[in-house]
Amino acid sequence: MALRLRLRRGGPAGEAAGADVETLERRRLNLVLGLAVGLGLAPVLYLYLLLVLSSFSNTMLTSLPLPGSGVELTLRNWEMLFRGQVAPAAGKIYTTRDIVLIILNTLVVALGVTAVVVAASVMAGYAFSRLRFRWRRGLMEFIILLHAFPGVALIIAVYAVYVWSLGPVRELLGRDSLAAYSVFYTVLARASLEIPMSIWLMKGFFDRIPWEVEWSALIDGASRFTVWRRILLPQVKPGIAALAIFAFLAGWEDLIYVRVFLYPQVKTLATFIEESVAGLETAYLPVVAAAGTLYLIPTIVFFIATQRLLLEAMSGGVKG
Amino acid sequence: MVEVRLEGVSKRFGRVVAVDNVSIVFEDGRFTVLLGPSGSGKSTILYLVAGVYKPSSGRIFFGDRDVTNLPPKERNVGLVFQNYALYPHMTVYENIAFPLRLRGEDEAAIDRKVHEVARLLHIEELLDRRPGQLSGGQQQRVALARALVKEPDVLLLDEPLSNLDALLRLTIRGELKKLQQKLGITAIHVTHDQAEAMSMADKIVVIDRGRVQQEGPPLEVYERPRNLFVATFIGSPPANTLPATVEHRDGYPLIRVAGSLYRPGERHAAKIREAGLDRVVVAFRPEHARLAEHPPEGEDLAFEAEVYLVEPLGRENIVTLEAAGMPVKVVTPPEERPSGRLYVVVPRERVLLFEPETGLSLDHL
Ligand SMILES: Nc1ncnc2c1ncn2[C@@H]1O[C@H](COP(=O)(O)OP(=O)(O)OP(=O)(O)O)[C@@H](O)[C@H]1O
Ligand SMILES: [Mg+2]
Repeated sequence: MALRLRLRRGGPAGEAAGADVETLERRRLNLVLGLAVGLGLAPVLYLYLLLVLSSFSNTMLTSLPLPGSGVELTLRNWEMLFRGQVAPAAGKIYTTRDIVLIILNTLVVALGVTAVVVAASVMAGYAFSRLRFRWRRGLMEFIILLHAFPGVALIIAVYAVYVWSLGPVRELLGRDSLAAYSVFYTVLARASLEIPMSIWLMKGFFDRIPWEVEWSALIDGASRFTVWRRILLPQVKPGIAALAIFAFLAGWEDLIYVRVFLYPQVKTLATFIEESVAGLETAYLPVVAAAGTLYLIPTIVFFIATQRLLLEAMSGGVKG
Repeated sequence: MVEVRLEGVSKRFGRVVAVDNVSIVFEDGRFTVLLGPSGSGKSTILYLVAGVYKPSSGRIFFGDRDVTNLPPKERNVGLVFQNYALYPHMTVYENIAFPLRLRGEDEAAIDRKVHEVARLLHIEELLDRRPGQLSGGQQQRVALARALVKEPDVLLLDEPLSNLDALLRLTIRGELKKLQQKLGITAIHVTHDQAEAMSMADKIVVIDRGRVQQEGPPLEVYERPRNLFVATFIGSPPANTLPATVEHRDGYPLIRVAGSLYRPGERHAAKIREAGLDRVVVAFRPEHARLAEHPPEGEDLAFEAEVYLVEPLGRENIVTLEAAGMPVKVVTPPEERPSGRLYVVVPRERVLLFEPETGLSLDHL
C-alpha cells in the first residue's frame, strides 16, 4: 500500500522537480520497487480479477474470457443473488437465502465491532498517553503481548467462556434471546482481538498533541472532560477514523469467530460464502463469485478512499 | 490588577529539583522578566503561577488570596506558551473565543470582544484562518489575543518571541510592553535573551538551577551583579573574569591580576581583610574598558595584553586580547583598529570583585 501510494505521488511530482538529483534517484528506486511489487502481486490481482469477472459471466472463469470462448457477460448472477436464489440443491431447485438479511447481519457484526473498538481504544489510548498510574508501562507491554497472540489460539478459551455463559443467559433472558446473545458475544470477542493494537494506535495519536495545548485549555477555564471532548478528540479524528475502518473490516471479513460463536441460523457474508462453496459439486459458482465480490466491496472502497489516512495512521500513530 | 507572591516555593519532578525554595514578588501592574539559561526552571515557575503545576512546598499568593491549591481556571491568568499551543482544529476566531465560550458569555459579547482584541493586535484579517496557515509571528499574536481576551489579572509570557526573526522580535517587544502598560496587567515574561530582558523589564529576576540569583531593576542587575553567574550571563559579550591573587603590602591588600598590581578601594580592601581572602576574581564589562598604548597614570586597573582578534560589528568593534593566557574582550569605537601589545584599562568604579569560592560579589558579601 505504501509503495503504491508513493509511486502515484512520485510520477508527476518527480517530473516537476526533474533537475533535482536526489529526486531522480528516488524515482528510479520507486520504479524498481514498483515493478517488483507489481510482479509479486500479479497472480493475486489476476485471481481477484477472475472473481469479479466471473460474477458477471455465465460460467466460473479460470482464465481471461477471450472472444470466441463462449463466455457471455451477464447480470443474471447478481439478480439471482439478490433474489436469494443462491444455494442450489441438486438440480435446479434453489434453497432461498435472504441476502439482504445476511448483509444486514454482517453490518451488525462489523458496526458492533467498530463501536466497541473505538469506544475502548479512544478511552484507553487517552489514559495511557495522558495519565500516570501504577503499572502503566507494564500494562502497555502486556497489551502488545496480547496483540501478538493469534485469535485462533485463544478461541478454545473464548469458547469455553461462551459455553459457561450460555446457561446463566438462558436462565435470565430466556431461550429466545440466545441468538441475539450470540451476536453480542461474537462482537465482543472479535473486538477484543482488535483492541490492543487500536489502543496503541490511539495512544500514538494522543501523544502527538503537546501537553501545552491541554494546559492552555485548562487555563482558559475548561474541565478535564471538556478538554478531552473539545480539544483532544477533534485532533485525533484521523486516528479514530483509521481504527474504525480497520475494526469495521475486521468484523466484516471475520470468518472464524463468526463461524464458531454465531447461531447457525444467523449468517454473515463470510459464513454464507463458506456454506455455498462447501457444496462445491452442486454450487452454482458464478453466483458465489457475485457474493464474493460483494464481500470484497467495503475493503476496496475503504482502502481506495482512505489510503492516505491509513498510511498516516500507520506511520504517525504508532510511537512508543 | 493583582500582586503575585511566591513564598519559599519548590517544585520537584522525582529527583529533579526544578524550582528550589524560591521567593519572588511580582509587583502589581509591573512588567517582571524571568531571565535564565535553558533548564533553569523559568517555565516551571510560570506553570506554578498558572496552576498547571502544584508546588511541592511553599505557598503562592495573588494579593491576599492564597491560590496554592486552586486549579488554573480559578486564577484568571492568561498564559502565552513558548510553542503558542493554539487549538489547531479551530479557526483563529474560535481560538480567541474559546475562553469566553467556556465562561458562557453571550454571542454578541463574544463577538465584540474577539474583534476588539483582534484589532488591538492587528490580526483582524486572520480571524477565519486556522493556526496551521499562519506565520510564527501571527500565531504569536493570536496566542496573545487568546490570553488577553479574558482580561486576565496576570499575564504570563513564556518566551513568546523566541521563534520570531530578529526584526519582528524588536517590533513586537515594543508593542507588548506598550500594551501591558496600557492595560495595567501584572506581567511575568520568561526569556533567556538578556537584551529582551533589559529592554522590557521593570524588574529582572535572574534564575539559575532553580534558584533566584538576583532581582532588581535592569540597570542595577547589569551594573552591580550579585555574583559571577549574573555577571557572566548578562551582557553581550558578557563580563570578563580574571582569577587574581591577593598580596599584602604594609597591611593593605593588593590584587595581582594578569601580571599587574591593582590597589582596590578602601571598601573592597576592608572586605578582603574581613573575609581573609587570598584569592579573588576580578571582573569588568567589555564596554567599560579601553585600550591604551601606555600604562595610565593614577590607580585604575591596567594590565598588558596582546590583541588576538578584532571583530568589526559596524557600530563598534569587539577586540579579543590575551592577557597572561586568558582571553579578554573589550568593546572599542569602530574607527579604532588596535594591534600588538596594549594596555587594557578599566576605571576603578567599574571594577567588580568576587569571592572565588561562592562567586558572590564583595559588594554583596
Ligand atoms: N514535567 C517534568 N518532568 C521532569 N522534569 C521536568 C519537567 N519539567 C521540567 N523538568 C526539569 O526541570 C528543570 C527546569 O525546567 P524548565 O522547563 O522550567 O526550564 P526553563 O528554564 O523553562 O528552560 P528553557 O529555557 O529551555 O525553556 C529542567 O531540568 C527540566 O528537565
Ligand atoms: Mg521553558
